[in-house]
Amino acid sequence: MNWPQLLVTVLTLGSIFGVVTLSLNLQYARGGMINFGIVAYFAVGAYTYAIFTQPPPQGLDQYTFGFGWPWWAASIVAGLAALVFAAVTGWPTLRLRGEYLALTTFAFAEVFHSLLLNERRIGNGTVGLARVERPFNDWGPVEEKYVFAAAAALLLIATLVTFRRLLASPYGRALDAIRDDETAATAVGKPAQQMRRQVFLISAVPVGFAGAFYAMYTTLAQPSLFTAEVTFFVWIALVLGGERSVYGAVLGTVGLVFFEEMVRAWPFETVRSAQIAAAVEHVVTGLVFIAVLRYQPLEAAARRLGTSR
Amino acid sequence: MLLLQFFVSGIATGCFLILATIGFSLTRRVEGFLNIAHAELLGVSAFTTWWLNSHHGWHVIAAALVAIAFTSLVGLGIARIVYDPIRHRGPAVLLITSTGVAFVIGGALHGLIGTGIRTLDIGIARRYEMFGLRVTSHQLIVVGLAAAVSVSLALFLNRTRTGLAIRAMAVNPELAASRGVNLRATSRATWLLSSGLAGLAGVMLAVLATLTTDLAFAQILQILAVAILAGLGSLYAVFLSGLLVGVAMDVSAYWIPAGYRPLVAFAVVIVVLLFRPAGLAGTRTA
Repeated sequence: MNWPQLLVTVLTLGSIFGVVTLSLNLQYARGGMINFGIVAYFAVGAYTYAIFTQPPPQGLDQYTFGFGWPWWAASIVAGLAALVFAAVTGWPTLRLRGEYLALTTFAFAEVFHSLLLNERRIGNGTVGLARVERPFNDWGPVEEKYVFAAAAALLLIATLVTFRRLLASPYGRALDAIRDDETAATAVGKPAQQMRRQVFLISAVPVGFAGAFYAMYTTLAQPSLFTAEVTFFVWIALVLGGERSVYGAVLGTVGLVFFEEMVRAWPFETVRSAQIAAAVEHVVTGLVFIAVLRYQPLEAAARRLGTSR
Repeated sequence: MLLLQFFVSGIATGCFLILATIGFSLTRRVEGFLNIAHAELLGVSAFTTWWLNSHHGWHVIAAALVAIAFTSLVGLGIARIVYDPIRHRGPAVLLITSTGVAFVIGGALHGLIGTGIRTLDIGIARRYEMFGLRVTSHQLIVVGLAAAVSVSLALFLNRTRTGLAIRAMAVNPELAASRGVNLRATSRATWLLSSGLAGLAGVMLAVLATLTTDLAFAQILQILAVAILAGLGSLYAVFLSGLLVGVAMDVSAYWIPAGYRPLVAFAVVIVVLLFRPAGLAGTRTA
């Protein structure tokens, strides 16, 4: 087993998905919103980045736009696009709460996925956009993958710090008040509905950035990368880490990515055994999910240490 | 004429959706949460039927009956082992847990069956022509079964003791318990019933479609669309909304590519919710 490679992969993917988990944590644990369509915001980031960095279409390409912008400009646009998408989807859905919200966001994500799949003018349909630009390939002596992993980790840290500052502020305390007792918070003049909407919008931006990073990492923006499985993956990571703690969300993600990459890096002899391993990975992930939700070991540990939230 | 043909096949699709959704809505109504793993039970049943039918040469009806019984037991087992201990945590945790269950069942199916396309050993559907419209015998079976299930379910819920107990528990568990309803037994009966309905829908899926292991998961989207449209947890509205979604999906293929079918299903949902926020069933909210 190639340990340095494995660690770099875990650091990179763990950071990228960690950002998504953090945003979900903000929406769910602080805003009380169940977003079961988080993959759509991720996909918006990835596709926006791909579209803005791709050269104009040629040959067999069927997409309409390719702007050929530099990576940093496209990344910023990716974050903005996720924000706009959150505003568009949040407008009709955020009136709903609880499981209705979960279902509607899920539905939006599926509609968006089927749009990417069928509408070839966005990003070549099923084929997707290949050879997405990766930055940092002229960084001198350090190998590109290390620089990229460091950049992903930086994004994670930046998100973490921003969210923590936000939540430690009076604004964050107002959010907690709304979550704990909405009637009381409204009675003292906190605009609950409006603040939830703001949280929804704010938390979409880092997801857009993470999507852009994911497109750089895979150098591909393809519908098959952005299925409901991504949503479930992030939710499992969030539950794994304990929904009330910011660091738990990050740890849960890194742990889950590590587990998946271990399975993936295992040298399999036959196609069938690799297939079975993939199936077992699913089963084990599901079982861990069920067990963690039932026994909540990490939350209990955090409470004992007095470090929850 | 082609449009009318699409309409006819839409009715058949709608009847399948009714069968697939009714168990899901029953769970939502009585147990109070959205069981995402419901769709995977369709897969369990479909592949049990397939395994008995084409591996062991059973007749398809015998295979289907065993598969339905097996699926309802699996459903009951999952409910007792997984859902019951965490019921006090509320519907959101149960909903998230059920996606974990869906993962486990889906992964198990992948591991046991493997990838590839499979069909039942039942010969090709016979075709009938009526007024220039083609109907296959399989479509007729689905429509007939959906009608039979609707009638017998309505009779069961309105005429039998267990059925009445299920309805009482759905409305107010404490009151039902104080009036002598055995909540535990009723809950088990509900799980057997809803999983058995999933089993029946799974058999229909095996008859109508070529089977792949991710087919079951794909159904959850349509089930959700139908259930939201009907208003979560309402049963009778499922019949109307199932037909509506089925017809809308198939008729839309007349104008736009068939790949957009799931999109059409949710477009219908969004349009209806704009005018009736609680679904077709009206005023009831979660």
